[in-house]
Amino acid sequence: MIGFIRLADRLSGWFGKTFAWLILLMTFGTSYEVFVRYVLNAPTPWAFDMSFIMYGTLFLMAGAYTLSQGGHVRGDFVYRLWKPRTQAAVDLVLYLIFFFPGVLALIITGWKYSSRSWSYGEVSINSPAGVPIFQFKSVMVAAGLLLAIQGVAQIFRCVLCLRTGEWLRAEKDVEETEEALIHQREQELEQRAHS
Amino acid sequence: MTDPQVALLMLGLFIFVVFLGFPIAFTLMAMGIGFGYFAYFDGDRMWRAYNRLSETAGAWDQWSDWIAGFFNNRIFDLFINQTYTVMSNEVLTAVPLFLFMGYIVERANIVDRLFSTLNVASKNVPGSMGVAALITCALFATATGIVGAVVTLMGLLALPAMLKARYDKSFATGIICAGGTLGILIPPSIMLIVYAAASGVSIVRLYAGALLPGFLLVGLYLIYVVGRSILQPSSAPRPTDDEVPDVPLGRVLWMLATSFFPLAVLILSVLGSILFGLATPTEAASIGALGGILLAVAYRALTFQRLRESVYLTARTTAMVCWLFVGSYTFSSVFSYLGGEQVISEFVTGLNLSPLAFLILAQLIIFLLGWPLEWSEIIIIFVPIFLPLLAHFNIDPLFFGILVALNLQTSFLTPPMAMSAYYLKGIAPPEVQLTDIFRGVMPFLLMVFIAMAIVYAVPDVVYYLPNLVYGR
Amino acid sequence: APAVLAQAPVVVKMQTSWPASDIWMDFARQYVVAVEEMSGGRLKIDLLPAGAVVGAFQVLDGVNDGVIDAAHSVSSYWYGKHKGASFFGTGPVFGGSATTMLGWYYQGGGQELYRELTQDILGLNVYGLFGFPMPAQPFGWFKKPINGVADIQGIKYRTVGLAADLMQQMGMSVAQLPGGEIVPAMERGVIDAFEFNNPSSDLRFGTADVATNYYLSSYHQASEAFEFLFNRDFMDDLDPDLQAILRHGVDASAASNTYFALDNYSADLKKLQEQLGVTVYRTPKDILAAQLVAWDALIETLSKDDYMRRVMESQRAWVERVTYYELMNAADLGLAYNHYFPGKLAI
Ligand code: NA
Ligand code: NA
Repeated sequence: MIGFIRLADRLSGWFGKTFAWLILLMTFGTSYEVFVRYVLNAPTPWAFDMSFIMYGTLFLMAGAYTLSQGGHVRGDFVYRLWKPRTQAAVDLVLYLIFFFPGVLALIITGWKYSSRSWSYGEVSINSPAGVPIFQFKSVMVAAGLLLAIQGVAQIFRCVLCLRTGEWLRAEKDVEETEEALIHQREQELEQRAHS
Repeated sequence: MTDPQVALLMLGLFIFVVFLGFPIAFTLMAMGIGFGYFAYFDGDRMWRAYNRLSETAGAWDQWSDWIAGFFNNRIFDLFINQTYTVMSNEVLTAVPLFLFMGYIVERANIVDRLFSTLNVASKNVPGSMGVAALITCALFATATGIVGAVVTLMGLLALPAMLKARYDKSFATGIICAGGTLGILIPPSIMLIVYAAASGVSIVRLYAGALLPGFLLVGLYLIYVVGRSILQPSSAPRPTDDEVPDVPLGRVLWMLATSFFPLAVLILSVLGSILFGLATPTEAASIGALGGILLAVAYRALTFQRLRESVYLTARTTAMVCWLFVGSYTFSSVFSYLGGEQVISEFVTGLNLSPLAFLILAQLIIFLLGWPLEWSEIIIIFVPIFLPLLAHFNIDPLFFGILVALNLQTSFLTPPMAMSAYYLKGIAPPEVQLTDIFRGVMPFLLMVFIAMAIVYAVPDVVYYLPNLVYGR
Repeated sequence: APAVLAQAPVVVKMQTSWPASDIWMDFARQYVVAVEEMSGGRLKIDLLPAGAVVGAFQVLDGVNDGVIDAAHSVSSYWYGKHKGASFFGTGPVFGGSATTMLGWYYQGGGQELYRELTQDILGLNVYGLFGFPMPAQPFGWFKKPINGVADIQGIKYRTVGLAADLMQQMGMSVAQLPGGEIVPAMERGVIDAFEFNNPSSDLRFGTADVATNYYLSSYHQASEAFEFLFNRDFMDDLDPDLQAILRHGVDASAASNTYFALDNYSADLKKLQEQLGVTVYRTPKDILAAQLVAWDALIETLSKDDYMRRVMESQRAWVERVTYYELMNAADLGLAYNHYFPGKLAI
């Protein structure tokens, strides 16, 4: 069970982080558009399509990664006061009945939707450049698959927590500046207490 | 049960489940799909087919087709359509770019330089360190669209300095919490992009409209800090020459130029190009991100490690915001399909409220929601409930949005979910208690309400810039 | 939802591609009124603006999937699925007006070609009908006056369908946006110039705030008509008389839309000129000539596709015969107008 959780975390993390680099492409690509459009008066016909395709791919593919890192916002003002076991019990039920219908729809209906788009080689309507978007529509299927795998891992996490009374956290990853600074401070205080 | 009653049940159940703490994006998705399944379920047709099959003693594959019919509900298509709408949303493309810019600039050691310079420059003003901290926060707010980092960076930098200078604990922490929260109000703010995507108001008008109210709030904060320092000098003693050295004016100006100038160029090129319609917000954000990278390089603060952190954090935060949209688009189209929007609107119009009473009621609800919830949930889920009512009361969604943005400053400061206070508590010395922080924050909440009242009384604070730039 | 009573009306969820405030919502409402009155209350149309269920450009997907039952739109909004879509509204102008081309659709073989495209080629689950033949569309709104082809090079311009390919061919940089997003896009700097369709929509979008030079007359969209889309299963399930009402309602609305448009478009043009300081021009002749040359190039490219070649052959044959009659027969209305209102026309 732990093995599967670690595998799912790594899988989600790998995809999320790899596609995260699209932000650099977006930055340079859109900056290039700004240059040719405003300085050379020769806008590209593809920059706009590229930017939303990269944005959409980035956030979809990062969905499972964010889930594994506990990054999806929760209204957790009550939740965080509970014992881990209570949290796990509630989460387990909600993952089973709330999480999977949508994720399966992403995979199954998303497949139907995008294969229709593949069948006529759909292109973007935003410009006459004809930037393909059928592959972009398939990203939701990929994102759904990653979420499904991560969702199973989250269920395992709940089961594990019900047994041990403790959450199995994801392995250490990048942290928000504020979290990193807070952790650093906690460690300092701990060290001071020990010495 | 009629459809509109089902819609209200949907909303009630949603609020209940939010309290259970399940990730909200997926809660919204589940509610949308579950209730949408009901809304789109064609019982009549299934019943007719059932009768036909049982009369003709249908073959097994006919029956399996019939069973498959239960999985062939249109809600799934609607959900996929809404997901694609979020994927191809032009306004939201600016979100990752502005986040990236913010994460890069956070890591560029700009806050330290700004604060130490302003600290020297403002030495002779009452409450000088508080003033320096607030101005640092306000300037930094024009380069980042999120909170968090500013509060902790300032908490590590300015708070120890203020405590050392014998500032009152709660006064000092209040300043940092309130100042550090400005990033989400002053453009480029992620919150305003999200409001634009939720309401359809032009994002550039929102940016133009939020600028003066943002600075108005900073001004009120400064008045409070300076005023209290004058009336109660013991809460903010003048720093000794040890703590803040006396520096000749020429040197002060030079320090200001070097620490402030690059940031100013970045800010002006980003905000300026948006406000004057020279570039789209997405384009300006990309220039901002590129400029942030160059600035970090110039300050020798850019390592591959920091770049990687920024990239990953951008992906995570973008995913957080945009999956919330995937859920809420589905939720709200089912909600209005069932007639929920209509019921709420009939109920509210039936109350015979005056526009002012409605406005106050709406803002009060948003303020109260800000205690347990965070801005993203409030804007993406709850504000859209008010939006369709605005026309009835003749309230401009732009104006409403600015009031909401001001109002939501308080959501970071009010318990139980007071993110700014928690961040600060996380890095503050152990003798600083959460109660100190909350006590320190109270007067700033009052300033937010005063700012809202001024904006209401003098709408030109909102409209002056948009009218100047875009006419009408 | 379940539990539909026997005598309850059939509710048609119809979404448009227009923002709630656009005059075209009024046009769609004329269809709604006609259908509801003719059906004696057996049909009820729930008319929704763009974005209520799906986005303005996604109504075809929505109707196909049955998320909405019907849509009020234009075919060029889905030309990303097949450029051939654009021939039913925004195709080459061989000389026919929108009425001429509506005639082609119902009498000249267009309907069968449309069926082939949507059902055989794309495999969609929809029926389509065409209504209101629109007056030719203005070249549009510019921040600065334009005096010829040189002045439009590199300009970022909004239009849709094959008109986008046409303008690109002429050296413009083209973006396609739904109507409701045009003026905000202009404010944001996404585009520098645009056309939508008509003076009334332009007035309601607040166009005069972002540009004041308005150019009438153009060959980029001279023959468009509203596209009415219906989900096939939904339509097939209806009683034959209700199907007929939904179909003939399109014809009825084409007529009432026309009268309504003439009144509103002309009054709003006057308002733009007299109250909002808009300068109205006829598009410079060399731009019009360049448009025809650009169409030539496009026709050649598009002809490489067998389906599109057949559509164009069919349209050409129709226009050659019908418009010959129309033009030979037409009274010189300009002459008469000048006679009674001398000096007003600046053509
Ligand atoms: Na900001
Ligand atoms: Na709060």
